[in-house]
Amino acid sequence: MKSNFRQGANAVIITFFAIIGSTVLLPMVIFNPSPSGHGNQYEKNKLAQTDPARGRQIYVREGCFYCHTQFTRLQDRGYGPLVQAGDYVDETPHVLGTARTGPDLTNEGGRFPSEWQKAHLINPRALKPGSIMPSFSYLSDRDMNDLVAYIQTLGNRRKVTELVEAPDEYTNKSTYGKELLARKHVDTKADASANAGRGIYTQNCAACHGLQGYGNGPNALSLEKKPANFTRPFYKQYSDEFWFYRVTEGVVGTRMPRFGEVLTEEQRWYLVAYLKTLPKEKEEVIDNVDQLNPVQQIKLPKLSHQQWEPASGGE
Amino acid sequence: MFIDRLISDKEGSASRNFMLSALFWSVIGMGSGLFAGLEFSMPDLVHNVPQLSMPHLRMMHVNVVAIGWLSMGYIGAMFYMIPSLTKSPLWSERLGNTAMWGWNLLMVGAFCTLLNGYTEGREYAELGAVLDVIAVVLLVLVGLNVWQTVVNRKVRKLYVSLWYFLGALFWFPLVYVIGQRTFVQLPGLNDAIVGWFYGHNILGMWFTTVGVGMMYYLLPRLANSPLYSHGLSLIGFWGIALFYAPTGTHHILQSPVPEWLKAIAIISSIFLLVPVFTVLTNFFMTMKGKWQLVVTDLPLRFAVTSAIFYYITCIQGPFQATRWINWYIHFTQWVVGHAHLALLGTFSFILTAALYYGLPRLTGRKWYSHGLIRAHYWLKTLGFTIMMLSLTTAGLVQAAGWAMGIPVDQWGLQIRPYWAIRAFSGIMILLGQVLFAYNAYRSFYTPVAEKESKLAQEVKA
Ligand code: HEC
Ligand code: HEC
Repeated sequence: MKSNFRQGANAVIITFFAIIGSTVLLPMVIFNPSPSGHGNQYEKNKLAQTDPARGRQIYVREGCFYCHTQFTRLQDRGYGPLVQAGDYVDETPHVLGTARTGPDLTNEGGRFPSEWQKAHLINPRALKPGSIMPSFSYLSDRDMNDLVAYIQTLGNRRKVTELVEAPDEYTNKSTYGKELLARKHVDTKADASANAGRGIYTQNCAACHGLQGYGNGPNALSLEKKPANFTRPFYKQYSDEFWFYRVTEGVVGTRMPRFGEVLTEEQRWYLVAYLKTLPKEKEEVIDNVDQLNPVQQIKLPKLSHQQWEPASGGE
Repeated sequence: MFIDRLISDKEGSASRNFMLSALFWSVIGMGSGLFAGLEFSMPDLVHNVPQLSMPHLRMMHVNVVAIGWLSMGYIGAMFYMIPSLTKSPLWSERLGNTAMWGWNLLMVGAFCTLLNGYTEGREYAELGAVLDVIAVVLLVLVGLNVWQTVVNRKVRKLYVSLWYFLGALFWFPLVYVIGQRTFVQLPGLNDAIVGWFYGHNILGMWFTTVGVGMMYYLLPRLANSPLYSHGLSLIGFWGIALFYAPTGTHHILQSPVPEWLKAIAIISSIFLLVPVFTVLTNFFMTMKGKWQLVVTDLPLRFAVTSAIFYYITCIQGPFQATRWINWYIHFTQWVVGHAHLALLGTFSFILTAALYYGLPRLTGRKWYSHGLIRAHYWLKTLGFTIMMLSLTTAGLVQAAGWAMGIPVDQWGLQIRPYWAIRAFSGIMILLGQVLFAYNAYRSFYTPVAEKESKLAQEVKA
């Protein structure tokens, strides 16, 4: 009996260490991503008055990471470029986060002016009615400025190289997208495909987008959000994959349906071929990254605290 | 003399003191949770008080319910159950009571630091360096006490509960030391991997193992029927030992950590169904033919409810760990609901059963009121069910929002009603717990008049 007990105890101990070895120690040894060059840079962005590295400590101290995450996933639309393992080398303690009660902040830097960010921290509801983000007006001016500097640093080095890009599920950046493209057999450059697409377009789209794609179909009258006018010049920037993605998933918040549910993949590729042939209107358009205004990096907000204090509450 | 009062060596005193302290901290912990919950519905409830801002309350809530209420209660229950299973007194009551005071000190420290934002910023491992060291020392003291008790036991055969208790007391200090990362700076993603190893194993190697051990102790006793199968119980034990520890990475399935690690996590999460089902089969077969007892026996009612919630949690867990469900559900309030199902639904309920069962036997006094126990049961069960449903629904709304790329500002307004319901259910749960504490106060701290004590005995348990 006694030896039985010993054997059992030894087995417990050995199993446990084997597991720790394989899932805790092993990753530390063999998983050492090298810096990707896109991670957040705190030291370089340090100014005389603001210190993003200190701002990060305040982010942790105030527990922002309980409501905000800092990693973009494949399916996250509108949160900017995907993260890589090498982006996190200098991030300790990690602030990946677990719940997205608020938006993801991976690429938040430069999204809003620093004044906005500061005012938002002091009184979120003044800028976003109905927001449930707590007010952090108790932070000192120094804390607040450092925190804003930190927010403005987030994701600044994750540069976008192309103007418009379909999400990774639709491009050959992901296995999913690769499979999709491998299945595609429609030649979207051929006239024959465009002709095939025209029929599908007339049946499904013309009622809203109009026969020539001017967004002037009969239904357009009654729609609050008007159908897109495909002759506007920037549509010429759209890649096949991007068209396909837009048609497949529709436009949330408008009457534009998710055609992925209705049309086959083949039909949607034919549509793409047709949409690309629609005429182009003259209009001023940005189609080069260099034409964009440069992002204003950190600028110290001069706001006074009181200006944004909510009327309710103490003091 | 004074020392004797403070660090008593009376048999059962360490266990009782641990249990009552746990009860005290549970009210504080659940109260801060409720407060944080209210701030989701009324974000400007308090203004300019850093100690009461939502993230600080949240840290406080998690640490106090996990390290204060559940852990202290668990230790109290073990100090009661282990001597009774080994038929030998606790190795040292004085050591136990010292640990009890130390643990209360630890919680006071947590209270003072976390609310002021002194945190290490690691989810579930927020406590600062000094408190971490205290916690480890205390755990080692408790472990020593328990192991010595078992080594000096009078009953040769080790009942399955003891396996669980001993396993937990060996694993948990180690998990704690590794998981806290107090004195190391790991690069970001490695930090997350170790962090979730800890985050999941405080559950798997401590709350689950001790909780299940308590269920193995309580169910056969309360239902007055022998355990269905010892073989199954051992399969369950080894299954948990093998499959629980590597699952941590399923909390960061969609982050850029190595794929092989994710695969291990997912596979072992699914394999967890094996120990869970063996454990539950054992429980439910033990209850066979005895289900009617839950009508009259209140501790048993808590224990059975706990087993049912355990069943739901453990089906949810592997389900969420699969990639495609995780794709949809992750980051939402659904997960918050799941966490409460495990810690509140399952482990708080079984601990409550243990306290209702153990405290009268330790003190030799009857419960002051059975009505209060019933009220506690219903407030907590209904309150918790409402909370679970509202959080799950909110989670699904959020998930749909994320999946379709709708900005937070839009669906944020949609889930406010669910948050209001959650806050309401929090009030019910806290009220239940307060009734529990009041009942304990009346039972153990108020001298009972002769007549009243008679009355209490006549009410059938
Ligand atoms: C209770 C959860 C919660 C906490 C804690 C929280 N936030 Fe928020 N946050 C939100 C919500 C909800 C929104 C979306 C509504 C809004 O913009 O106010 C938001 C929005 C934001 C935004 C705007 C993002 C965008 O792109 O629209 C920023 C920046 C931000 N929070 C920063 C912070 C910082 C910094 C902290 C810590 C000091 C913090 N948050 C703490 C919930 C929270
Ligand atoms: C019920 C009316 C309706 C129908 C039918 C409809 N659309 Fe749309 N479509 C809209 C609206 C409204 C928008 C949103 C414009 C906006 O973004 O403000 C839109 C947007 C789009 C866009 C996105 C443009 C962009 O800016 O990226 C594409 C592509 C598109 N539609 C293609 C189609 C195709 C192809 C069909 C037929 C298969 C179709 N639509 C059918 C109403 C409709």
